[in-house]
Amino acid sequence: MKLVKKFIEGLYLKKSLKRFKPVIKALDEFFFGTDKVTYISLRSPHILDNIDIKRYMFTVIIALMPSVLAAIYLYGLRVILVIFVSYLVGGMVEVISAIFRKKEIQEGFLVTGLIFPLLLPPTIPLWMVGVGIFFGVFIGKEIFGGTGRNIFNPALVGRLFITISFPQALTTSWAEPLRGGLAGFLRYKSDALTSATPLISFKSGHTLTNISELLMGLSSGSIGETFRLGVILGGLFLLYTRVANWRIPLAYLSSVFILSFLGNVFFPDKFAPPLFQLFSGGLLLGAFFMATDPVTSPFSELGKWIFGFGCGLLTVLIRTFSGYVEGVMFSIIIMNGFSPLIDQSILNFRYRYLKR
Amino acid sequence: MLKYKTFKGGYRFRNFLGQPREQLKELPIPQRVIIPLKQGFGGEVKPLVSPGDKVYAGQIIGRDDENVSSPVHSSVNGEVLKIEKINYFKQEITAIFIEAEPTAEWRPLEGYSADWGKLSPEKIEELIYLSGSASLDKEGIPTRFRSSIISPSEVENLIIHGIGSEIYNLSLRLLLSGKNLFHFIEGIRILKKIFPQAEVHLALNKNFKKLVEEISKITSGFDWLKIYALEPKYPQGYDEMLVPTLLGRPFPYGYSAANIGIVILNTQAVLHVYEAVCEGKPLIERTIALCGEGFRENLHLKVKIGTPLKEIFSPYLRKDKEMRLVLNSLLTGIRLNIFSLPLSRTFSQVIALPENREREFLSFLRLGMRSESYTRTFLSALLRGKKKLNTNIHGEPRPCISCGYCQEVCPVRIIPHLLYRFIERNIIDERLSKYGIFNCLECNLCSFVCPSKLPLAKTIKDGQERLITIGCDRAKCILPYFDLKGLEEYRGIK
Repeated sequence: MKLVKKFIEGLYLKKSLKRFKPVIKALDEFFFGTDKVTYISLRSPHILDNIDIKRYMFTVIIALMPSVLAAIYLYGLRVILVIFVSYLVGGMVEVISAIFRKKEIQEGFLVTGLIFPLLLPPTIPLWMVGVGIFFGVFIGKEIFGGTGRNIFNPALVGRLFITISFPQALTTSWAEPLRGGLAGFLRYKSDALTSATPLISFKSGHTLTNISELLMGLSSGSIGETFRLGVILGGLFLLYTRVANWRIPLAYLSSVFILSFLGNVFFPDKFAPPLFQLFSGGLLLGAFFMATDPVTSPFSELGKWIFGFGCGLLTVLIRTFSGYVEGVMFSIIIMNGFSPLIDQSILNFRYRYLKR
Repeated sequence: MLKYKTFKGGYRFRNFLGQPREQLKELPIPQRVIIPLKQGFGGEVKPLVSPGDKVYAGQIIGRDDENVSSPVHSSVNGEVLKIEKINYFKQEITAIFIEAEPTAEWRPLEGYSADWGKLSPEKIEELIYLSGSASLDKEGIPTRFRSSIISPSEVENLIIHGIGSEIYNLSLRLLLSGKNLFHFIEGIRILKKIFPQAEVHLALNKNFKKLVEEISKITSGFDWLKIYALEPKYPQGYDEMLVPTLLGRPFPYGYSAANIGIVILNTQAVLHVYEAVCEGKPLIERTIALCGEGFRENLHLKVKIGTPLKEIFSPYLRKDKEMRLVLNSLLTGIRLNIFSLPLSRTFSQVIALPENREREFLSFLRLGMRSESYTRTFLSALLRGKKKLNTNIHGEPRPCISCGYCQEVCPVRIIPHLLYRFIERNIIDERLSKYGIFNCLECNLCSFVCPSKLPLAKTIKDGQERLITIGCDRAKCILPYFDLKGLEEYRGIK
């Protein structure tokens, strides 16, 4: 502890590192809490909550841990490499923009850098991970002004960019999950390839995958989405800690369930049954970890319900009627774009009587 | 009849180290007291004594019948040393310095009677006024001697509360222990006698089940009394929250409950009323609680008004660490830093909070068995251990991420982060008042919960002031919706 303190103090004193002050400051703040105390004025409280943004973001990372560990087990040690590349490139973009903007480094990229690789197919080439996270953090967040000002979820922006740029790599080849013994913990990657995820199998041949297989991660899919039991546990943990608001996942998942139930009753060959829809694709990961991003979702309570419902509706529609098999990413991105409008309309409605 | 009620928003603070024990100690008579001539509700009164005069405990030494005010008493037997202006909590106030004799006797008010039923309402009013109890709490008790901004006949509702929604509270069980419980109920009946037309509401902490049951049993014969058990969520004890919760009526934010004909009193104020009427005791003593880890002992003290803070704290305050002393509330209270200042009628608890300027290694990774947080990201949420508090801000300031905590806890349902964004970008127009900026109670809960450590409450207050400079007044948002009483007097006092 003292060594770290000395090391950081040394960094502060080096003149050649003056430009990298945000990085040094971020390191300092990472290791040591603040020494500031609350203001002594009537208008500020004498005590403040123990939560800060670092712990807030770190809670999300803890909630993602079951998915990450399962991903390594299912798809091999290469997953660690994918996450590493994502953190490296994403972190660099964050650092460079902090240096240019002369502001402190924000902790938001800790979550973006971990969620992004979880959305990718296990066979993704590493350079594509770099391109995706670069685009996501830079175009999705930094050019809007950094954390707190972005309109779209940066991880999803990156995913969307590489999905459209490299459709071949992102939609056609999926790895079969490893299983038995220590599986992926001892192997670099899974070599058996398949062309079908459960959603593709339904669209092409109406074959339904078993729910228990979907829950335990025995079907193919993106790196972090297949071990759905872990996703659900992590998601519930997030809701319990109040880091994610419960309204959005509830609205999202229940609207998917109800809409696909209704669709399945009237057009059974078009709409997949509700439980299958709920436990396939990236729906759970999206509903718990991405739709709940506070920056890009509406802040009003009613707005959160509308946002969740909109995501659910779009997800079912895209899954059923479009050329794409999965609609979670598109639906969240589209609804992200709508959230300022949703909030403003609700404000106008709520305060309609008080005009002038 | 017992009713459970609560409000939306707010935050329940629970399980803190340093809650005061149910033990009451009497502090010895100090050598010298300083009596400020403005205490509690009302304006400053004129001194009736001059240096060199002998005074007795309970003697009225300051009184002003022209303006809204209540008399002030000498709390000790002794001699007036000097009369001079002191800076008392950012106000220039005249104070009377008295050299005290170590005798505990006090002279009762004239005409009191233990059998208060025989006294006329006028006499009771006079006793309450002369005892100084009429200046207690936010708007005082109306009497015909102009102790409040409204007259007694304008009182429609009387709310008496002992909720304790702050982090540290005076113990209600101690206040109402033994005979005091009956004194308290008699006090309520006395108040009913001087406000015969008023509905009386008694709000108690719902966690004190035994006490609530006992009181409902004793008062079951009073059909004019309504009893409520309330969740002790902060800021339920605020007048602004009690009125909508209990009566379902909107509150004229920024004005006082008296403006809409409601008188709100604390438990201790009712006990003072009883003592004034049945024992003839003027307001010369106050029970205060010493809370927080900074005190060696957490207990209650009975202290003479005017005792310098130094004499109250120094036997109990820990000296091994730097402490911050806060009056009444950790969220909104004033810091007590000049220990030569005296205790006044407005004190009810004093909190000693450790100043923490220490940098903690990897603080965001700590398990937090004793950390207080609105979020449940600390182990204290699961294990319910006793929590510790200090003044550290626990994190670096960051931009707002719209996490929505401030909006969830806001008791008046405004959206602090939205207002913050407007004010930070210098957008000061009537939209701010449309979004309810003038409804703010300054309970500071939004600043407390913010994970980005933004000074939300302070910014909102600044925004209000800047909005007033461009001609958008609080009055425009509040006055058209209410028929407010005693407005002229209210302006005179503020």
